[in-house]
Amino acid sequence: MTTMTCKKEDTTNCFVFEGKMALPNQYFVGRLGSKFIIALRDKKKIMGLKCPKCKKTFVPPREYCHFCQTKIDENWVELGNEGVLVNYAVVRYLGKHLPKKVPYILGQIKLKGADTPLTHIVEGVDIKDVRIGMKLKAVFAPKTTNTLLDLDHFEPV
Amino acid sequence: MAEFYGTTVADIFNTMPKRFKPEEAKDEDIAIGYECKGEGKWKVTIKHGTIKVEEVKGDLKGCATTIHAADAETFIGTTLGKIQAMDALTTGKLRVVGDVKLLMTLLPKIFVQYTAPEKKSSVVAKDIISTITERFRPDKAAGVDMKVGYDLAGEGGGKWTIVIKDGKCAVKEGLAKDLTVKMTMPAEIYVGMMLGTISGESAFTSGQVKLDGDMMAAGATSRFFNKFVDPNAKASEAEELITIKVTNSINCRFATGTAYGMWFKGLKEKKFLANVCPKCGRTQITPREICAFCRVRCNEFVELGPRGTITAADVVYFASPDPLTGAVRETPYAMCWILLDNASPQEAFCFDIKREDLPKMKVGARVRPVWAKETKGTFTDLLYFELDK
Repeated sequence: MTTMTCKKEDTTNCFVFEGKMALPNQYFVGRLGSKFIIALRDKKKIMGLKCPKCKKTFVPPREYCHFCQTKIDENWVELGNEGVLVNYAVVRYLGKHLPKKVPYILGQIKLKGADTPLTHIVEGVDIKDVRIGMKLKAVFAPKTTNTLLDLDHFEPV
Repeated sequence: MAEFYGTTVADIFNTMPKRFKPEEAKDEDIAIGYECKGEGKWKVTIKHGTIKVEEVKGDLKGCATTIHAADAETFIGTTLGKIQAMDALTTGKLRVVGDVKLLMTLLPKIFVQYTAPEKKSSVVAKDIISTITERFRPDKAAGVDMKVGYDLAGEGGGKWTIVIKDGKCAVKEGLAKDLTVKMTMPAEIYVGMMLGTISGESAFTSGQVKLDGDMMAAGATSRFFNKFVDPNAKASEAEELITIKVTNSINCRFATGTAYGMWFKGLKEKKFLANVCPKCGRTQITPREICAFCRVRCNEFVELGPRGTITAADVVYFASPDPLTGAVRETPYAMCWILLDNASPQEAFCFDIKREDLPKMKVGARVRPVWAKETKGTFTDLLYFELDK
């Protein structure tokens, strides 16, 4: 049996594989999620769900009230397309599946009539100038993608 | 013939040629026999994209597989999916002689799912006419002054005059003398038009509807009324649901290091290179830099095989995704533990075996590797092992 030697310092045969893995994925947005996206797409309206007991309005929609666990899935209310920025983060991480080019602002916007903030992209304002308390309005995508991005972004009023 | 779930056994067989998908069945050659107690027997012959459905008197002959249903309800129920086929099989109401699995995969592939025919609406023209005054929209008919006559022949038909004047609407039996326009048609055409199952335009151009008088007025009438809604029709407007489908592409990097670098160098030369532990003398395939038992560095490489012996095999029937492409792997496939010649005992190498050799494969069988036409020093160089005859 012939043997050959290859020491750990010997990198003659070392190399790097570059690969691409395809991950087919499907995500059912749910019955309420579908209604929410369809309202964005067809009516250019942001819809929330209101608890008749707590008088709290939730957006994005959820089936049960966060406070009293009442089923609220039928109690749709229309929210305003304007709101106030209550919190934000600047996305700088270069992930190739991100919806926008970095850096961009991910804001939490409390819409008129809502009690919970909606997290979405904020554009039209410099990263240096973004402030909590800013008034923002929704800008809808001209072309539908049947996703949450049918509401394209928020921008200053 | 008994009717269940709004359909009969004969309906299912009569619609079979219509529901048949020749493209999907072009490689099939099978005869399936059906027996439904109290209803009859049928033989369905599928051959290279053609189908023949015949009712059989006497015995079912020449069928590869036969299906026996205890009653019409079981047969219709399972066809429509109202009864779970598995339940019917376990209770013995449905019995299959032959290859059940083949049938379960073949039938949904080559046939469009059977659906019960829709019940014809029981609404007649008279019912629709009687709702005209309540469907009237005064706001749309301001300043309109006209008399529209309907002459509807056939069952549920009759003659009526609809008078629209001063924002009011009235229906009168019979045809007035001074009609603005008169429409003559079979009553069922009128019902179809009102329910939206027949297009008014095509009914007119095909001559089923005759107009006498002001044609523009006839066209305008629909504006003055709310749409008629069939009270018998179910409110079954499907809810739109959204499913987002994406294929994410993930970048991957894999650095071989020295040991795996040697392994791929070996593959390029169509050799299996294992490394040998200097302490225990064990061959490691695929090579590792450190002996897994003695924890010492292994720098010496030897060539194993290329032939070997199967020591164990896992036959996989679960359709798992290929991690490299995401596509579902064809089943069954086998991962074999192959002890290559010159390898230490227990140090088998795990790899695929040729699909065609699966039925003949057994522990102890001799195998040889099959290489790609061009070996490049990558993991696709070795295709599979095959039986060494």
